[in-house]
Amino acid sequence: MSGIPLVRVPFRKQKKNEKERCLQANNKEFNEKFEYEHNAIKTAKYNFFTFLPLNLFEQFQRVANAYFLFLLLLQLIPQISSLVWYTTVIPLALVLSMTGVKDAIDDMFRHKNDKQVNNRPILVIVNGMVKEEKWLNIRVGDIIKLQNNSFVPADVLLLSSSEPYSLTYIETAELDGETNLKVKQALVVTSNLEDNLEKLSNFKGEVRCDPPNNKLDKFTGVLIHEGETYALDNEKILLRGCTIRNTDWCYGLVIYAGQDTKLMQNSGKTTFKRTSIDHLMNVLVIWIFVFLIGMCSFLTIGHGIWENQKGYFFQIYLPFEEEISSSALCIFLIFWSYVIILNTVVPISLYVSVEIIRLGNSFYINWDRKMFYIPKNTPAQARTTTLNEELGQIQYVFSDKTGTLTQNIMTFYKCSINGRLYGDIYSMTGQKVEITQDTEKVDFSYNNLADPKFSFYDKTLAEAVKKGNPMVHLFFLCLSLCHTVMSEEKVEGELVYQAQSPDEEALVTAARNFGFVFHSRTSETITVMEMGVTKVYDLLAILDFNNVRKRMSVIVKTPEGKVILFCKGADTIIWELLHSSCKPLQDITMEHLDDFAGDGLRTLAVAYRELDEESFQKWIQKHHRASTAVEDREEKLGLIYEEIEKDMMLIGATAIEDKLQDGVPETIVTLMKANIIIWVLTGDKQETAVSIGYSCNMLTDDMDDMFVIDAKESSMVLKQLRSARRVMKPDSFLRTDPVTKLISQSEKKNFILPEEVPNGSYGLIIDGHSLAYALEEDMELELLRTACMCKSVICCRVTPLQKAQMVELVKKYKNMVTLAIGDGANDISMIKAAHIGVGISGQEGMQAVLASDFSFAQFRFLQRLLLVHGRWSYIRMCKFLCYFFYKNFAFTLVHFWYAFFSGFSAETVFDEWFIAFYNLFYTSLPVLALSLFDQDVNDLWSLRFPELYYPGQNNLYFNKKEFVKYLIYAIYTSFVLFFIPFGTTYNSVRSNGKDFSDYQSFTLIIQTSLLVVVTVQVGLETTYWTAVNQFFIWGSLAMYFSIMFLLYSDGLFLLFPQTFQFMGTARNTFILPQVWLIIALTVAICLLPLIVLRFLKMDLLPTQTNKILAKIRECMKNPVPPPARTKLRRTSSRRSAYAFAHQHGFGALITSGKNMKSR
Amino acid sequence: MERNSNDVRGLLSRMPDNTAFKQQRLPAWRSHLTAWAVLPGFFTTGAFFLGMGILLILSAKSVKEIEITYTSMCSNCAKLRENASNFYKECTCSVPFFIPEKMPGNVYMYYKLHNFYQNLRRYTISRNNRQLLGEDITNVENCAPFQRDSNGIPIAPCGAIANSMFNDTILLSYYPHSSTRINVPLLSSGITWWTDKHIKFQNPRSNNLPSAFTGTTKPPYWRKPVYQLDPENPENNGFLNNDFIVWMRVAALPTFKKLYRRIHRTGPFANGLPAGNYSFDIAYNFPVTVFKGEKGVVLSTVTWSGGSNLFLGIAYLTTGAVMWLAAFSMTAVHLKMKKRNIVSES
Repeated sequence: MSGIPLVRVPFRKQKKNEKERCLQANNKEFNEKFEYEHNAIKTAKYNFFTFLPLNLFEQFQRVANAYFLFLLLLQLIPQISSLVWYTTVIPLALVLSMTGVKDAIDDMFRHKNDKQVNNRPILVIVNGMVKEEKWLNIRVGDIIKLQNNSFVPADVLLLSSSEPYSLTYIETAELDGETNLKVKQALVVTSNLEDNLEKLSNFKGEVRCDPPNNKLDKFTGVLIHEGETYALDNEKILLRGCTIRNTDWCYGLVIYAGQDTKLMQNSGKTTFKRTSIDHLMNVLVIWIFVFLIGMCSFLTIGHGIWENQKGYFFQIYLPFEEEISSSALCIFLIFWSYVIILNTVVPISLYVSVEIIRLGNSFYINWDRKMFYIPKNTPAQARTTTLNEELGQIQYVFSDKTGTLTQNIMTFYKCSINGRLYGDIYSMTGQKVEITQDTEKVDFSYNNLADPKFSFYDKTLAEAVKKGNPMVHLFFLCLSLCHTVMSEEKVEGELVYQAQSPDEEALVTAARNFGFVFHSRTSETITVMEMGVTKVYDLLAILDFNNVRKRMSVIVKTPEGKVILFCKGADTIIWELLHSSCKPLQDITMEHLDDFAGDGLRTLAVAYRELDEESFQKWIQKHHRASTAVEDREEKLGLIYEEIEKDMMLIGATAIEDKLQDGVPETIVTLMKANIIIWVLTGDKQETAVSIGYSCNMLTDDMDDMFVIDAKESSMVLKQLRSARRVMKPDSFLRTDPVTKLISQSEKKNFILPEEVPNGSYGLIIDGHSLAYALEEDMELELLRTACMCKSVICCRVTPLQKAQMVELVKKYKNMVTLAIGDGANDISMIKAAHIGVGISGQEGMQAVLASDFSFAQFRFLQRLLLVHGRWSYIRMCKFLCYFFYKNFAFTLVHFWYAFFSGFSAETVFDEWFIAFYNLFYTSLPVLALSLFDQDVNDLWSLRFPELYYPGQNNLYFNKKEFVKYLIYAIYTSFVLFFIPFGTTYNSVRSNGKDFSDYQSFTLIIQTSLLVVVTVQVGLETTYWTAVNQFFIWGSLAMYFSIMFLLYSDGLFLLFPQTFQFMGTARNTFILPQVWLIIALTVAICLLPLIVLRFLKMDLLPTQTNKILAKIRECMKNPVPPPARTKLRRTSSRRSAYAFAHQHGFGALITSGKNMKSR
Repeated sequence: MERNSNDVRGLLSRMPDNTAFKQQRLPAWRSHLTAWAVLPGFFTTGAFFLGMGILLILSAKSVKEIEITYTSMCSNCAKLRENASNFYKECTCSVPFFIPEKMPGNVYMYYKLHNFYQNLRRYTISRNNRQLLGEDITNVENCAPFQRDSNGIPIAPCGAIANSMFNDTILLSYYPHSSTRINVPLLSSGITWWTDKHIKFQNPRSNNLPSAFTGTTKPPYWRKPVYQLDPENPENNGFLNNDFIVWMRVAALPTFKKLYRRIHRTGPFANGLPAGNYSFDIAYNFPVTVFKGEKGVVLSTVTWSGGSNLFLGIAYLTTGAVMWLAAFSMTAVHLKMKKRNIVSES
């Protein structure tokens, strides 16, 4: 639904530099002078008329296509045309049209998407009337009306809203991935406009502000209204991509539209990603060009020598052509003739075939039911179809935390009240029982305000509540009072809570379900339904949360008249503030907290203190004084808070589960086994990030050490990084250390940092502040060295930019394939920076998905994407490329050998039709089937043995060495293909006495042998023979023979005697037993060394992969065992801490009463 | 009930189909190089290759063949031909030779050229099949550099191939006794491909062959026009001349032999050529020394596998032997490694 394309228009005209933006509300003429960008976005490239010229122009910009065009032009020169024109035109036309069709379809989708976004409805004020318009018609200076839950179509200045003080709540999930609500407030002068259409349409405010930029959190400008100037900042701006929440309506003045909006500016340039195999392929194509030129030069020299020694004398039978004056020119022309003949070493169909294979393998991803997420009806999606094989080569995974590893759902999971632990359930025999989906939930039917989505399993707690256990009641009362949640009762009996952090919501919801329902609040009261009885508590003070205090308290006056302080906060902090009499309870609770932490739960301690009226009055006066202080208000308030938050009585502790997505720990373990290094980059705070690190097994207790880099200045960061490295690898500080040497010696920025082995397993936690220093140029290598030696790296509180910088850092110095996975808009930069970006789909925000190359709904699908689809794609692509280069070299190089016997005269050794069809029809389908269906082991096994992923990471199956191997093999093949028929036909006759060595028979024998050899070769590479493979392989052979007989038939010859010269050759040649003997012999000689080498290599030098494959084959003989689930135990003794959102609470807003509707 | 199932379908509307193709579960046969497949395969194919090699060698050995290179023997004729001004001078040359063993069965006579490049690119394309089909006798397209004579009259048959046609005549004589001489009867029929003779080459439609070729001229190197190639057999003239058709099927390699005549098995030659003294009487017309070429005549019998070429047999024998060698060494390695693996596993 929220599909806002992020692709920037490539052909956008560059506008003149804007220094300052100046606009007037409701003044079209004035605003039009500046020619600001309209709100329509255009991502499509072509229209109906420009498609053909533009697309062709683009296609010929590709080196390969341009090369073939050049060849075609060469072939039009009769003196050098060694091949007829159709040998090049047929493949080129096919390639161009296939790419063209694909581009056209892609562009049609973009048109559709643009149209959908541009045509969304929006309300605009025109001449004092609210009129419905489409998004694309919005202009800068328009005043628009936004309604609840609607998207903001452009960057607008908030003028007024339905809420008091013109507050407007927005959700910025699409922009920064945060799902909590944010508040924006309009200027007083504009909020007076309210929804008075007359006033609004007469509003003539002038805005002067920054030119369009990509800073999401910065806006400076002024509003000039009726002669007065008002400052504008980010608090008054609603950005495109936000969603209006909890606000019935609001009005805004459009400031930036279309491409100028911060969202579009932020989307950055969509760089065209290419895989490492693409790069390698380009290098190889250059090698091949060089090889081609070398060969042609060699043959040209050969021709020169031949002309000199033989050709000159042979002129009586073949005089030089009249137009060609000198033999030098003749020799020069031969060079080009050979360029034409040997052009097939750079196969034109290579690029198209590669695209087809990738497309096919992308479809498998879209079709995979095991990556379909049923609850969200979301299939996996390969959004970029050109990166598949790189999925099989990933070495670094950069993951976001919230929404990616976790569900971003907090659930109240356990608690400890007055020394008793609730939440575990036990069987009859007293054994602890694992909670599963089938476990019976506590029945909350006694409470008609209960939230049906809440579930809890331990019945004893509900019983304790029903029995009226005072401490339990106190515990839940505390939870229902001590928070800054806002409630809304839209329908009678249906409460909706709006919380700043999901933790708070979880606690309040738990209290609600157990019978302490937080119902509503005003700035002075909190209404709670206690076990069905409505009670109103006077809210005396909110002692709000901040990062230093790590706690929050409320002071309330109960209906009975008691003044009580309720406090919840990080256990370590609360412990200091407890009354000494709590010591025994403290110890028991401590044990429970350790228990919770071991389960990876987020814990809070809960305490209370009864105050006497008198001392409270004294305190509140001090508080009042401090809260009106102008200087150091925060600090002063903090001191005042401390005065009263002491001698508290412990009630208990809560344990909240930051629910991991299903299968996350298992997935991480599997990926780690596949040698994939996972770094978590999160905007969350350190404690949460670390606790998630433990719960998903990235950090374990058996790690030798965990380093925390949290210094606040550059030198300290460096010191911490160095000391970490000193622990992990003391040798690395020696001058003799190879890596240190390399770094000190290399001046250039682009060198590859080698792998370093630490002396144990370590974890690294680094926070955003330190990262800012560490990512600077002088320290980035230090950071990378330390980080790469650690088993797990967690970066917390990082900005979107830093996420991208981390990815870039690894890309720059490590030469390894990176993958970034995330769900929010704050992950976009990293998703775009990484070689492969993966978006988690199915959530609210779609920005990450739109920027991503692959998307699916659950993190756990990553292992299937990499280990199954990626691995298969990689292997298939490698097999394809090896085979493809092989078959073309074997095909082309036969010409080379023939040159020695044909006076280097650029005579082809094949029928021209064979040359035209070889790549297109005769040999394309079997290898296509191979690269679409082949699987050495099935998906279960490749998940079971993640080690099978290594070869892809180390790029073992297709690299320069493999290429050279196949090149040598192809040279050998072409040698055999030429000299076996040569030796056999030389001086030989047919069994009926007629001569055997005529050119056409010779040609037919060689091309048939070639075709059989390469077809058998593809059969040898195929490990998974589906019916399609069989059909294509046998079909190709059958097709070859039938086309041969067709092309060599009487009918075609009589119609075009010059074009189909080979008439009768097939009939006269295939009847000879020698021909079949030659074919059998060439196949045997070609394949013999390959099979022997492969066999011996498997026996003598088996790779790790060979061994695993052998093991799998052994296992497959027996029935498949159930996939062994990695048993995960969280043995952590780590303690997580208070987990509020890392902002101030709404405390100040609540007590000021600003956000309360007047009643 | 129905609504319910609709709901379910709506909820899972984007669920991919559960087909074997889409889920990559197509039934398939897995192949890989196991010892059980490779080793027996090597042994059997090796055996086949060895056997076939022996068979081929034996059959090639059974072929009786005599080859005589006459360029040097007729050196005065060769010298004469080096000068183009002697074009119309006749020069004959007799080459005596001895057949030590009887040549049984069908005997074929070939002419053999060394160093003659019928496979040069410009040479091979210098012909016009449409003209040779008799459809358009003046069509000389593609025939450069022999399209028209100096007067602009189209050449028939045009092109470099036709122009350079081998035009020696070779007669074979048998001397049962030193004084008696018997001309060995030679057949010029049955030396071409059926498809060439009946489809690819056609004379222009006319009752009178010479008139059919009016408006064209003979190739410059020819002594006689195309319709007078065989004075003895009127059927064997024009584009349908057997020697012409054989020549027009260009050779792949610079050394080649082409079928010239078949020995007519009548009289004393009913069972082939008896051992004894023979001679070739050659009308030496075709210059070869200019380009350092050589000419020869070959008499040969044939078997099912062709002529006397041993190459295929030796190649088969060698390949078979190598296969067995490979098979033995692979077996040895495999057994050894298996043993070691078992030891190391236990």
